[in-house]
Amino acid sequence: MEVLKEKVEEEEAAEREAEAEQAARKAAAEKEESILDRDDLIDLEQKLSEIEVHIPEVPSSIDTSALPESYKTNTAQEKQLLKVADNFAHQYSHLCPDREPLFLHPLNECDVPKFVSTTIRPTLMPYPELYNWDTCADFVSDFLTMVPLPSPIQLVRPEYLFSPTSVLKYQKGNCFDFSNLLCSMLIGSGYDAYCVSGYASQDICLMDLTREVCPLLRKPEEAASQKEKVVPKRYTIKPPKDLRSKFELAQKAKKEAEIAAQEEKKRKEEENKLLELDKPPPDPMHGLRIHAWVLVLCGKREVPESFFIDPFTAHSYGTTDEHFLGIESIWNHKNYWINMQDCWNGCKDLIFDLGDPVRWEFMLFGTDKPYLTMADQEEEEEAADEDDIEILDKEEDKNFDMPLSWVEQIYISAKDFESRCPQGRKVIQYKQCKLEKWAPYLNGNGLVTRLTIYENADCRKVVEVKEWYENREDFLEMRRVDKTTHLTTEYFKPGHFLALREHTYKTMAPETDRSMEFYYDTRVDGLEKRTETPNSMTEYYKDRADYLVYRHVDYGIRLKKFSLNSPDTNPRPMLKITERFDRNLSKLADDDVAERIFVVSDERIQLRYHCRDDYITTSKREFLKRNDVDNKGNKIIMTPDMCVTYEVEPREHTKKLLFQYEMMMNLKNEEKISKHQVWESELEVLEILKTREEEEDTHNLTVSIYDTTRNEKSKGQREALERQAQEEHMRQVEAELDYLAPFLVQLPPGEKLTRWQALRLKDECLNDFKQRLIDKANLIQTRFEKETQELQKKQQWYQENQVTMTLEDEESYLTYCSQAMFRIRILEQRLNRHKELAPQKYLALEEKLYKDPRLIEYLKVFV
Amino acid sequence: MIRLYDTIEPNVIDEELLKLAVEEQGPQEEAGQVAKQEGINFKDVRSLQLDFQNILRIDNLWQFENLRKLQLDNNIIERIDGLDSLVNLVWLDLSFNNIETIEGLDNLINLEDLSLFSNRISKMDAMDTLVKLQVFSIGNNMIDNLLNVIYLRRFPELRSLNLAGNPVCENEDYKLFVTAYLGDLVYLDFRLIDAHTREAGFAKYQYSIYELKHRENQMQYKLEEEKANIAELEKHKAAYVEYLNGSYLFDNLYSDDTEAAKLAYLPGVPELLETYKTKFVSICQNIFDYGLIQQEKRTAEVDLFYECLGEALSDNRDLGLKTINEFEKKHVKMLHDIRNANELQVVDAKMSECAEEISHLFDILMTYEMQLVEQLEESINNFERNIIDMVGTFVENVQGLMAQCRDLENHHHEKLLEISINTLEKIVKSEFDEDLPDDVRALFSDKDTVVNAVGASHDIHLLKIDNREDELITNVSNWCSGIVDKVHTDEHNRNRKRVKEINQYIDHLQNELDNLDFGDLLD
Repeated sequence: MEVLKEKVEEEEAAEREAEAEQAARKAAAEKEESILDRDDLIDLEQKLSEIEVHIPEVPSSIDTSALPESYKTNTAQEKQLLKVADNFAHQYSHLCPDREPLFLHPLNECDVPKFVSTTIRPTLMPYPELYNWDTCADFVSDFLTMVPLPSPIQLVRPEYLFSPTSVLKYQKGNCFDFSNLLCSMLIGSGYDAYCVSGYASQDICLMDLTREVCPLLRKPEEAASQKEKVVPKRYTIKPPKDLRSKFELAQKAKKEAEIAAQEEKKRKEEENKLLELDKPPPDPMHGLRIHAWVLVLCGKREVPESFFIDPFTAHSYGTTDEHFLGIESIWNHKNYWINMQDCWNGCKDLIFDLGDPVRWEFMLFGTDKPYLTMADQEEEEEAADEDDIEILDKEEDKNFDMPLSWVEQIYISAKDFESRCPQGRKVIQYKQCKLEKWAPYLNGNGLVTRLTIYENADCRKVVEVKEWYENREDFLEMRRVDKTTHLTTEYFKPGHFLALREHTYKTMAPETDRSMEFYYDTRVDGLEKRTETPNSMTEYYKDRADYLVYRHVDYGIRLKKFSLNSPDTNPRPMLKITERFDRNLSKLADDDVAERIFVVSDERIQLRYHCRDDYITTSKREFLKRNDVDNKGNKIIMTPDMCVTYEVEPREHTKKLLFQYEMMMNLKNEEKISKHQVWESELEVLEILKTREEEEDTHNLTVSIYDTTRNEKSKGQREALERQAQEEHMRQVEAELDYLAPFLVQLPPGEKLTRWQALRLKDECLNDFKQRLIDKANLIQTRFEKETQELQKKQQWYQENQVTMTLEDEESYLTYCSQAMFRIRILEQRLNRHKELAPQKYLALEEKLYKDPRLIEYLKVFV
Repeated sequence: MIRLYDTIEPNVIDEELLKLAVEEQGPQEEAGQVAKQEGINFKDVRSLQLDFQNILRIDNLWQFENLRKLQLDNNIIERIDGLDSLVNLVWLDLSFNNIETIEGLDNLINLEDLSLFSNRISKMDAMDTLVKLQVFSIGNNMIDNLLNVIYLRRFPELRSLNLAGNPVCENEDYKLFVTAYLGDLVYLDFRLIDAHTREAGFAKYQYSIYELKHRENQMQYKLEEEKANIAELEKHKAAYVEYLNGSYLFDNLYSDDTEAAKLAYLPGVPELLETYKTKFVSICQNIFDYGLIQQEKRTAEVDLFYECLGEALSDNRDLGLKTINEFEKKHVKMLHDIRNANELQVVDAKMSECAEEISHLFDILMTYEMQLVEQLEESINNFERNIIDMVGTFVENVQGLMAQCRDLENHHHEKLLEISINTLEKIVKSEFDEDLPDDVRALFSDKDTVVNAVGASHDIHLLKIDNREDELITNVSNWCSGIVDKVHTDEHNRNRKRVKEINQYIDHLQNELDNLDFGDLLD
């Protein structure tokens, strides 16, 4: 316990220090930017390096007591390997004195030197999400906290390299730890991956993403949508003659081009300025900063091209990327290679052909050489000629394979896997934005990701906030708040009972500007979108049986009433309802209404029909609803001037008053229905708003029934099952143990045992057991004898009838014999075993009886 | 319900009766007043009920073109007649009449519900065209042959059948038989057919139904094959090279030629004929193949033309639609302004402005149309030239190939003549020792006869070849002029239609404006 406490304290201390250090560095970096002076820069840098000296000794924070033996000692093979490695390093430094010492066998957490290749523990993770390199790298970068190297430049190498298991346990590490863990996982899932030790740019080494565009903001590259040039067909009509002056046109075009060029120039200048601002300040230690990353070679797992993975950010880079400035050595779980190529041009000219000993000096001979491009013979010759280093070790190396990893299997618990980041929370600063991640269920409202976008690089003014949610009961997926327009947009997953898909609003008050989109295919009415302004409402529909696609309502000013003024009792008066319909192909175009406008205020109904093919005008009809009385006092039912019609092709029956009258009656009905529907829509909006507010207040989270740790019901069920199983087990054990029961039953129940009774009980029990043992032995004995007798009989019979026997009989006899012999042998074995075990069993029972709680007080004297 | 003529005076369907019926059954209340005011046109009537009228003969119904439902039940009709013009009829009720045979229903192809209940019909027949029939009621009749039910198999939509009250129903297997043979039937005698009956019926008549189905399938198959053949021939005919693949033309040359048959007995002639035939047939095949290729080219050309035409038209239409749309937006606003204006001067100014806009719209639309006409004219002329050229080349090439045929024929003729003369000489010299039929030998009486015979055969052949060639050329030329004419007339009609439409629209707008004026003055 004390050890643990200490450890925690140490850890906390380390964290605090690391934070302080980070803050200091940040402040320094800010200063750096604000001053922008070359001379001061170097000064600053020096100060910076001074600050970084205070990095705590990492190994102190690791509890080594619980680690297995392989972590603390070296096997003979490993010792030999270390020897080989030393020899290798020695020769290397002799041959290339101007190069840096190799990173070969750092100390592990138990201060034991271990060869780097054996620290890689290829493991295939049980999570399908970790099967591919991108998700795997994402996990590693999320799961671990980055600790900078003790010294960013080359002089002091990191002396420690921890096992991946420890790194996973403490969730932090430097670039070597990151690469080591990632490499183990990648090799485990079948990639041809290598750890790379080399040099990289400052941004990469310090995991500085402030100049990166956030991956969530990166726009998908637009597919080059080049319009296919339309080849004029033979009979395509020629365009009408252009009667404008050619000269004037040319002049005009010239002017326009000039203006465009100027604008372009301006734009470019501005762009350049922005780019200038974006560029990092020059780094005095450029090219010297040590970094470790992962190289994935093409070939395995259908990787088409080799690439680098930066383990801090999980980004992949091409092998020619300018961020990577040089490679010293690479290794995987089988071998170690030194880069013999010149890195004056970064990694741009490197060729990753590990079978080529001129470019890549290998340490162990005989392990498989991936990516062999040269002919075998040549290869061998060259190997023989040039491997001066190799020759010395050759005899012992010839069959020397890399020993198995000393690291235990990498294990990530489901809980860790789910929470991903340390404490389930992670913040990344990108260019002009901040990304925060949480583990699911960590936040009560289901928030998992938040992206804050700022106006510019100084990150002061927030422009937009995007929040992603998970496992919400109301299926809210994402919420976007635009701080400049104050618009909130909520996105929902399918499954909500209101079928809401998107909701954009300023306030939740009804009858204000808002737009709601729906999953129209799950709605009975096929509503796709509804937008509202204070005095209008527009609805868009899709796939309806009545072909309605659009409905627009204009509202007037609400009449003042002295009674209750709630929206329910005093609806806004509708001024105009416009409805549009799709073409219904089963009707004639002249009978198929395209647009229907009910002008409520004017008592007018306007119809516009669909346009026929080959025509450019559409039929129209306008009804005036007048309930007038003619001069004789009779009610006017229908007069020709109540219906104004334009028909593309005049038809006979539509001129009839009866037809028009019936149509008008129909439309009046439709108007009532439409009004009712509008009213229902208004109610629905109110209901949605109410529901949304309630949901937002409660923000319940759903738990899958398969999630047995979170789902209360499943948890209870699982625990009940476990308890049941345990009880069952206990009962069985008890039932087995009660050897005294048959004898206790014979005694009168409820009475206390006398000592004499107890003694008798014990003797009886022992005798009974003895008898049983003897009986068993006798049983085996009789069986044995019976079997032997039978065999003898059979043998006798065989000898008598041997001459007259058929081949078949003989065969069956032989098989019988072999089977009988087998049975006899088994019986014999059993008997011997029984004889051996019986006394032991007897003694065991006797001892048990002495210790039996029911008898112990009576038998104590004899013990 | 069989009444006798002498007891009751038969009624005639006349104008008065119809008017009364229409008015009674027409719209009621307010709509009825409106209807009365302007009178109902028989054409607009959808349903008509003429029951219990003692009608003897169906007549005078030809005006009811759009009639959907006609009820003539409980009359004394003896013949189904006078229904030919009611093609839209869906529902026809002729129950409780004195009809003896089913007839006169051939034109009622839309009929779905037919009732002939309680008549004197003894056979279901003459309804082949009623493919949409769903409900058929023929109960209380005199149908006595169960096999007559099989006739109803041809109505794929038939779901309800009423046969109750016929002599046939006394047959104990009646139900099973009907359900088995009419598998899609759902209701029999207005009762739902249960699965049990269906199964039993199927089990009982399984084999005969299989046989029937097999026969029907075979018929279907044959029909399809024939259709395919006809389609193939049509394709060849469209290329004007029908019957040129194979030896059809060659055989045709010799079909009416008696002399050639006689001459074929001469030694060496069969071989000669054989080679002639192969060469001839191969040339025919050439013509055939060439014709098909040319046909394809022509179709492609025509398709291309129509595609371009369609594009041009739709572009023009879009342009027109857009213009009108823009105009209408403006126009509506203007009308609104005029309505709301209260000063007479303003109204006048606006009115004239509006009128100007309308005439401007007219100008624009007409300009578009004129432009299109010009563009299309050029395009059409181009097409005409090309298609005529194409046909010209085709004809020329075919003529060349036909000339080859003729050459072959000439060559053959010469050879044949030579052999004939040789034979004649031999016969004259009595050196000819082969057996010849008497009529053949008669040919070789003197030189003139022989030469005439061979010449006649040759002439026939040449004539046939010429005829085939002429036929081909005439057909293709006809097609060519036909399509060119069609394109021109189509374009002309289209132009007229569009101009008419524009004028109509402008007139409407003008009228609307004038009426508005009128209304405002009244106010």
